[in-house]
Amino acid sequence: MAQLSAEKRVLRADLHGDRIRAASGSMVAYEGNLDFKNAGMGGGGGMRAALKRAVAGESLSLMDVTGQGRAYLAKDAMDVLVVDLGGDTLTVESEHILAHTEGLRLDVQFAGLRGMTSGHGLATTTVTGSGQVALVSEGPVMALEVAPGQDLVVDPDAYVGSRGQLSMNLVSGVSWKSLLGEDAGEPFSLRFTGHGLVLVQSSES
Amino acid sequence: MTYPPPGQHPGNPQPGYGPPGYGPPPPGYGQPGYGPPPPGYGQPGYGPPPPGYGQPGYGPPPPGYGPPGPHGGPPGAPGGGAGGIPRTLSAQSLPSDDNVNPYVFCIELSGDWFMSKGAMLAYYGDVRFEAVTQYSSAQAWVAARFSSPVYVHDWVVASGRGKVLIGDRGFDLNSYDLDDGNLTIKANNLCAFSPQLELKQSIVPGFVTLIGTGKFIASSNGPVIFVEPPFRADPDALLGWADCPSPSVHHDAEWMTRSMLGGLSAAFGRVSGEERQYDFTGQGTVLLQSSEVAREDPAVLRLVESQTDLLSTSQAGQLGQRLIARAQQQQH
Repeated sequence: MAQLSAEKRVLRADLHGDRIRAASGSMVAYEGNLDFKNAGMGGGGGMRAALKRAVAGESLSLMDVTGQGRAYLAKDAMDVLVVDLGGDTLTVESEHILAHTEGLRLDVQFAGLRGMTSGHGLATTTVTGSGQVALVSEGPVMALEVAPGQDLVVDPDAYVGSRGQLSMNLVSGVSWKSLLGEDAGEPFSLRFTGHGLVLVQSSES
Repeated sequence: MTYPPPGQHPGNPQPGYGPPGYGPPPPGYGQPGYGPPPPGYGQPGYGPPPPGYGQPGYGPPPPGYGPPGPHGGPPGAPGGGAGGIPRTLSAQSLPSDDNVNPYVFCIELSGDWFMSKGAMLAYYGDVRFEAVTQYSSAQAWVAARFSSPVYVHDWVVASGRGKVLIGDRGFDLNSYDLDDGNLTIKANNLCAFSPQLELKQSIVPGFVTLIGTGKFIASSNGPVIFVEPPFRADPDALLGWADCPSPSVHHDAEWMTRSMLGGLSAAFGRVSGEERQYDFTGQGTVLLQSSEVAREDPAVLRLVESQTDLLSTSQAGQLGQRLIARAQQQQH
């Protein structure tokens, strides 16, 4: 079973004759006998997901890494976090996915209005199954709890992903009046209600 | 400037956090007189005041963000606990007016704070953000506190109750306490300040001055380095200065000789970028950041433009022609 481990800003992927998927162009070095090839359209999830992705503008380009050895993966010197999934679902912005092991399935979930305002795609990616997924973030990721009566509001640019029973709404932080004529810093934010966790990075740009 | 007494630090919720380099500084790194840094977490250079420094305020450092505070929060709170995901923070377990990690600061909001636009990462509670321009029409104190028309568009007032997490481009964040003092800081690096402080525009372009007693949060690219004048600083690495007179511009003597031979117009062009420095004299403290990544400050354009009022019509025309020539030159 391939093993992902984070070492600050580099991800170490140990492969034992199996396969992982990693963001295209993220390989910085490798040892052993590894094969890198473009996973083609879709980045996993098959043709249907690829089509949804194309419609939604959620871009994700992955490559297949197979063989025996160790690959070092990194992206823009961003911090790396490895999350173990045991049959549950993680919702994550596709640009934050660095790599995932074979047992996981990536799909596209439409996010409605949110994507339009944050400049990200119209959709987010869901990761389901058992295995490991490696996320990249600007600065370390904080896991913030959402519980009934404890809503969380997040800047769209700081949002990395979430897990749990959450619903997401758009809120306008700065009043509409003040939006006129000048660029307001926090025009829209995401309000999370329900029960779960929201992953937030330390940078808003 | 003071650092909050140890009692105000409920402890870092992620003990042992922090990249390399957050430990004790390498030998010879700290400025003479600034003592040893708090163990583990703190910025190199914050320490007990040197004897004879006499500045009320450079208090003892927080005790190294040692034991988890009363709000430590059990690991593996509901929803968390799965492998790999960092320890879950909630509205209760977030620190109050303290760093969550080197790059994120949590403000316990109860009332109003000034915040740089876009600094907000997330918040719990009932918080409203309103542009300073909007807010000041209803609340006269805002206009009195925020006396910088150039920067007014880049700031919002956060009001309400809750915990607000702020960050700035993933830079290091630090909070500073001013105790009836003044501190001038690069406007780009100021993230938030409490409304007890007064903000004024510094004479040096791109810098703002905070006056009074209160708390502010500023970012730095790399740890902050404290230096005492007399000192010359690279303009890009300069973060700010406290209690000392505004700097004058110093030009490298050799460069001056050459530019005088080469004609006065060369005085506008910087060649290597190192021949121009800010010269500090007098009593006080100079703050430096360890990197010189510059970011375009939209306010500088407004600032320079407002200064062109000083020019006569023909001078303004000359300046316009020179700027056009420069823009054309850079296109090629």
